[in-house]
Amino acid sequence: MDEVFITQAGEAARRWSGIASPNETARQMTAELLKLIAEFEALRGGLRFEDEPADFEAALRDCKEPG
Amino acid sequence: MPQDAALAQQDDLATLSLVEAADALVRGEVTALALTEACLARIRRHDAALNSVIWLDEAAALEAAAAADRRRARGEALGPLHGVPMAHKDMYYQAGKPCSCGSAIRRDFRPTYTATLISRLEEAGALTLGGLNMAEFAQNPTGHNRHFGDCQNPWVRGRITGGSSSGSGAAVAAGFAFMALGSDTGGSIRLPASACGVTGLKPTQTRLSRHGVMPLSFSCDNAGPLTRTARDCARVMTVMAGHDPKDPTSAREPVPDYEAALDGDLRGLRIGVAREWFLEAVDADVLRAFEAALDVLRGRGATVVPVELAMMREVLTYGAVVSRAEAAAIHATWMRDRPGDFAAHISGRLFPGYAVPAAYYLEALSRRGPVLRGFAQAAFGAAFGAVDLLASPTIPGALPSLAETDIDSGDPGAISRFGAISRNTRPFNYLGLPAISIPCGFDDRGAPVGLQLAGRPFAEARVMQAADAFQRDTDWHRRRPRLD
Repeated sequence: MDEVFITQAGEAARRWSGIASPNETARQMTAELLKLIAEFEALRGGLRFEDEPADFEAALRDCKEPG
Repeated sequence: MPQDAALAQQDDLATLSLVEAADALVRGEVTALALTEACLARIRRHDAALNSVIWLDEAAALEAAAAADRRRARGEALGPLHGVPMAHKDMYYQAGKPCSCGSAIRRDFRPTYTATLISRLEEAGALTLGGLNMAEFAQNPTGHNRHFGDCQNPWVRGRITGGSSSGSGAAVAAGFAFMALGSDTGGSIRLPASACGVTGLKPTQTRLSRHGVMPLSFSCDNAGPLTRTARDCARVMTVMAGHDPKDPTSAREPVPDYEAALDGDLRGLRIGVAREWFLEAVDADVLRAFEAALDVLRGRGATVVPVELAMMREVLTYGAVVSRAEAAAIHATWMRDRPGDFAAHISGRLFPGYAVPAAYYLEALSRRGPVLRGFAQAAFGAAFGAVDLLASPTIPGALPSLAETDIDSGDPGAISRFGAISRNTRPFNYLGLPAISIPCGFDDRGAPVGLQLAGRPFAEARVMQAADAFQRDTDWHRRRPRLD
């Protein structure tokens, strides 16, 4: 496990939310965030930030069955 | 009547489908009181082994059943669910009734108002028996619960029920209620439906009101039914769907008569099967059941075609960011003030959400529309063959045991086994698409296997039509677990 990352993530949680890492499971699952970050960064530049606030609801309507 | 015969009669009543029970009530062949007594009797006999019920209000249920019978005897106009007993995941608010959310933190919580879906069901005549076991705060896919005890699979003891609507799946399978509401943020209706051998529908995001339903992720939470058949689902969906002013996020789309769409005719229907992601981790016995299920659908006139998906990486990544961040935010106060009152695997799953930057979360949320459009164009659009539905196994692997997925035991492999369970259900939550799980066989260890059918937004009628057609030619949904 990347102890530096786990410490930094724990510090962010403590400073921003006042929440301390509760147990070993939290440490293990925090370490898994690294994979998520890598996936997120791999997608960077692929889609633009959507300007419309209700775009998802519009997309649901637009993607309905025709007729 | 001898006691054995009386028990057998009660068992026969309690294991009818919801539609069979409702129609028998209309014909005067059974009373609401008899149905309620039959459900309660089965709970008393069998729930010590299953642990699917958190609380019951037997006196209120029996009184309501007797009142329902009196109204019918007076010839009053009655709703389509009049006299049908139900029980719901213990996170649906009912004024003055317990609502533990499967947690120690809310063990004594008594809401002051009632969820819109409960109100709509009761206005249609449904009776409410009590609250059902669930994962703590709806946060695991297995049915583990430290506070109320793990829910047991009615088919194979020691296997998971699926979660988080564990009690809903087990109770419907066991004949404790004719329908149970569940909730689905990453598969929590479809997983217990699959594992317990019942039918479970996650509707389109926004299709059903969430007023009075404990939240886990505002963007990905869905209410929905677990029943014995697709026709049961259709009947309750017609009652429950429709815009709710108390939930402004609920859709204003017109509500069809879902049951009227169940014609059994799948000619012209195109069903897509995506090997990418959905069949990459399937066990051989599950695959056999899935392929046999596709043959049944072909036999009803459907065409099954391979389909290439788009945007899956976006779906999985953005979906994980959204659900983690929202769950963390919702539980922040309790994580600060009462962290020891969560099971370790629940607080452990919540904690990383506090390290997700807000900018990541908002990016993930803002891209939901474009991702849905891209996914739908590839899956349902003309460019790749225009399928109407996507099919996959609901749970790709053989059903694991409670022990194999007990993160709190310290088993280092449990976390990955945990995540594998919801592999095929999670994508449809970020996408917001409707998806149903119906029983389609058993794995090599005797646990049910589920077939998942997903459709375009608001295509619940199409999804249930295909599920119902499948159930016309199979009897998996009619099989009952042996509880004695």
